[in-house]
Amino acid sequence: MTHLSTSDEGADHGEQTERRWAAVAVAILVLLVVMATFAALYHGAMPQSRVETADPRTLHLGGEFIESNLGSALEPDGTVTVRFIGQQYSFTPSCILVPTDTPVTFRVTSADVVHGFLIDGTNINLMLVPGYISSLGARFETPGERLMPCHEFCSVGHEGMWGRIKIIDKAAFSRMAAERRRLSCVE
Amino acid sequence: MTRERIVSLRNPWFTRSVGITAAIAIVAAVVGFVWLPLQHPGERFKSVWDAICSAAGLVRNAAPGTQIVRADYPTTRVEIDPQMLSGASAESIGRGATLALRCTMCHGARGLSQADTPNLAGQYPVAIYKELLDFKTGARVSAIMAPLVADLSDADMRDLAAYYAYLPRVTSSGAAAGEAPPIVTSGAPLRSIAPCGACHGEVDSKASAAWLEGQPAVYLRTQLEAFASGARRNDIGEQMRNVARGMTAAEIDAASEFYARAQ
Repeated sequence: MTHLSTSDEGADHGEQTERRWAAVAVAILVLLVVMATFAALYHGAMPQSRVETADPRTLHLGGEFIESNLGSALEPDGTVTVRFIGQQYSFTPSCILVPTDTPVTFRVTSADVVHGFLIDGTNINLMLVPGYISSLGARFETPGERLMPCHEFCSVGHEGMWGRIKIIDKAAFSRMAAERRRLSCVE
Repeated sequence: MTRERIVSLRNPWFTRSVGITAAIAIVAAVVGFVWLPLQHPGERFKSVWDAICSAAGLVRNAAPGTQIVRADYPTTRVEIDPQMLSGASAESIGRGATLALRCTMCHGARGLSQADTPNLAGQYPVAIYKELLDFKTGARVSAIMAPLVADLSDADMRDLAAYYAYLPRVTSSGAAAGEAPPIVTSGAPLRSIAPCGACHGEVDSKASAAWLEGQPAVYLRTQLEAFASGARRNDIGEQMRNVARGMTAAEIDAASEFYARAQ
């Protein structure tokens, strides 16, 4: 009898421990989901909403990445779309012009190998994968000039591959956009 | 003590653990595939199904937004494939040799120029083919080359490329060139200029970039200046214009003279 009751107690104790461990495991899972959701909503850590493709060999032949269509475009709804490409070993256009206080959408792709798009001092950080269009929404509050280095090693000329991004006053940008349909700050 | 089967609906541990895991998975899937995509700024999905497919990674190219701005000048129409034009047949080289008779006045009988025009002997076939096509479409402007390529077919241009690629290059003595200038070996990274050698040989070579060693200095300088000013714009994606624009006159001279010496 004594022997049996001890074994019952042991089983109860074991079950309790197991239940606690299960609760910890579930709590970890829930926490991870909550963290990922929070980061997506408040830190912009969201994957791009759609997968879009572009053939790196024919970017210059047609479509939105032909050289005359690259640069910043003022859309009818007042937002700005910036299209540019990364290639060994430069960005085209190599100086990008954006206005302050305006929703900006970047649409970028690579013409050859994997490159990186990063704007210094912001959390903008994308990989440019040949074959795919990377897109990202952003908004710039203060005017200024920032650097845009390629941060994915893209072969031997990598260290020379960086661009500039110039953030200018919204009104000045609109005036320029009235004269030219695609803007950049390449001199 | 009875030994129950673990995988059984009668086992409360099993039903509860699988149930909780499945519930978390379903909630996470709804959040990840439906709710978060719908929160994406600037994204308008037609339906929940559209949001789910997009989040799952189905390729959905956006409808062309604003009108595409076309260039008011001809741009290159050549599609570069690193493997293209490799393994030319003897027949193709032979045809190219016959066609090349019209080129000898400037580019020399064996592809070695005496007239400050490019030496074509041993040039990469892709580079020759691309430039011929660009002269033909007007993407590269030359009053001399335009009438000469006007009646060339695509096959003719491929044959010419095969022939010139087959000819032996100017013999290399190495020492005569002296030390390569910094612009060739390391570029000017602080001004966003990659080394010439990263694409044009020396360090690495990129498909469609020309072999520059032994080219006349006058020719190289003129082309760099034309890229810098935008007078020449047949480079794909402005790759040369971006580089040449940032080069100083001294760097242009140093690179041109080094490549001209490096025979």
